[in-house]
Amino acid sequence: MKCEISTRGIYTVIALQGEVDLHYSPQAREPILTCLKKKQNVLVDLSAVTYIDSSGVASLVEGYQEAKSSGVKFGLVGVSKAALQVLQLARLDKVFSIYDSVENLLAN
Amino acid sequence: MKISILSEIKPSDLPSPPQAAILIMQACTRDSTDSKELGKLASNDPMLTAELLRIVNTAFFGNVAQQITSISRTVTVLGQRTLRNITLCVAVRDSVKVGSIPGFDVNQFWEDSIRRAVSARAVAQYLDVDHEACFTAGLLQDFGLLALYHAHPDKAEHSSQLREQDPEHRRQTEQKLFGMTHDEAGAMLAETWALPEIIANAISEHHRIETSEPSITTILRCADWINSIFTAKDKSITLQKTSDIVLEALTMTSSQFDVLLEMIPKEVATAAQVLGLDINQQEEFIKILKQVNTQLAQANLSYQELTWQLESSQKERDRLQTELNKELGLAREIQNSLLPSKMPDTFPIIGVNLAAKQLSGDFYDYFRLKDGRIYFNLGDVSGKGTHAALLMAKTTSLFRCLGKRVHEPGKLLAYVNEEIYETSARGMFVTMVAGIYDPESDTISLANAGHLPAIIIDQDKQLSKIDAQSPPLGILRENVFPETQFKLNGGSLYLYSDGVTEGRLEDGKELGMKGLLALFLSLAEKSPRDRIEAITNRLTTHADVLRDDVTLVLVEKNRVFD
Repeated sequence: MKCEISTRGIYTVIALQGEVDLHYSPQAREPILTCLKKKQNVLVDLSAVTYIDSSGVASLVEGYQEAKSSGVKFGLVGVSKAALQVLQLARLDKVFSIYDSVENLLAN
Repeated sequence: MKISILSEIKPSDLPSPPQAAILIMQACTRDSTDSKELGKLASNDPMLTAELLRIVNTAFFGNVAQQITSISRTVTVLGQRTLRNITLCVAVRDSVKVGSIPGFDVNQFWEDSIRRAVSARAVAQYLDVDHEACFTAGLLQDFGLLALYHAHPDKAEHSSQLREQDPEHRRQTEQKLFGMTHDEAGAMLAETWALPEIIANAISEHHRIETSEPSITTILRCADWINSIFTAKDKSITLQKTSDIVLEALTMTSSQFDVLLEMIPKEVATAAQVLGLDINQQEEFIKILKQVNTQLAQANLSYQELTWQLESSQKERDRLQTELNKELGLAREIQNSLLPSKMPDTFPIIGVNLAAKQLSGDFYDYFRLKDGRIYFNLGDVSGKGTHAALLMAKTTSLFRCLGKRVHEPGKLLAYVNEEIYETSARGMFVTMVAGIYDPESDTISLANAGHLPAIIIDQDKQLSKIDAQSPPLGILRENVFPETQFKLNGGSLYLYSDGVTEGRLEDGKELGMKGLLALFLSLAEKSPRDRIEAITNRLTTHADVLRDDVTLVLVEKNRVFD
């Protein structure tokens, strides 16, 4: 798994790539929480995620909960088919704010 | 750069030979010189003449037959070359004044030079080549070091440390200290002194490794290494290295080498006496060998200590591992006790849970209510390991405890959700399907919180599913968990964890959702117990380790099987 961080407008975009599984999810969790604790608005880009397991989803849930208590924005962008299937199956698409792209979000 | 270093040497400090010695050496090198002429040259310096005659009459330089009383007679008896070599030795000796470089031990330098000289001579005798020339060249081979210290007297404090290194390391250190090595400086001195070509070449080339027949260059290289056995700090490694180098370069046997080494200290003492040089008492080689053995023993001891430490660390690790396994075993036992106890085959619900790691994040449960209905569930805690197992324990306990009072699965999930949400950490959540089965009416009331779809296969083998209607437990504080009611009508309801759909078959491929549905259909005629066993067998018999926990629950009205 790879993880790249960039700034787009008011958002810190954390782009995850590859398999976000039990082994790699701590590497996704760490930057997500660090940015949120710094009161940054975080978007997690899942467009290049090929697989996500429950521990990966837990990292996103933790981000969601942290953002809620810190009063900052947290969302998912460009969710890949593989990741979306997992989120939809668990009805988590109802929990997370999901956007198709950072560009569209910034334009609106 | 190199020239500038030498030019830093003050003329008064530069080792320079007595004038008469230079003239004798030059005359000896010319073929046309006769013994009378040499005698005349020597008479200009009576001190030098006396010293030369003293030396030529020692056994060390081969003259024992008759007393030689003049320089011209020396040439007749010993030859021009011997006279030249002896003159050179004396000239070199007289050119260096004790105390000329503060902090530099000139006597020790002579001791090492003599050791190189006698080693070179011994090796030359073994090879049957000009051993006198080798002696002289050996004496001079590190003369460049003196020039380096002359140019950099502030570096003299490093001389003892330099002496303790083997020839290879010494050169590297010289390069760092002086920006030049002793053989390079020696080559320049040889040129200034107009030394005979054979000796000048040997001085400048004695660190070059030759692959051809051993020449004076190889002999000096071996002599340098032999000397380092006596001076090096780490004698055992240096002895081994020297032995490898000398035996290979000279095709010598190790016992021949031992004999050679044993004679060195005595030869050094004799040569020093002959040359009139003051050196320390020489240690016998056997004492050096003892030092080597002591160093080896110490190295072995520390190796032994390391081995002991390693062994005890391994034992400690094994002990901790055993302890941890014991603890995990106990935890697993407690987890197992949280799973429902085995029921008779007539009971309409059957389940299985196989943990991938020792502790499972999956669970299932069922228990009968007082009115005869049966509560059941199957869940999966996000993540794995101890924290997943703890949350699993909490969830099942909540389910059992609240389930006895709340007889609506959706409502029950809402209560459990609230409890988990309040205390859950690290974004952990639980997906769960919970239901109540009424055996009398063969109906089920079911709620799915973020879990994989529940599968129903009716009597006509038609498939239908119940997707999750709400997110997993522990994510949102308040949530509604809608229920689905349906009649089983003699069909079967399957609940399963992702360890089943993501489980690997014999060919390494994932079972997948389609594979699982096909398996359900193909096994429909078997008894529930056989069905469950057949499914888990497909996923486990070939695998040494399960990738994920495998959990399965089957609800079906008791029927008669063949």
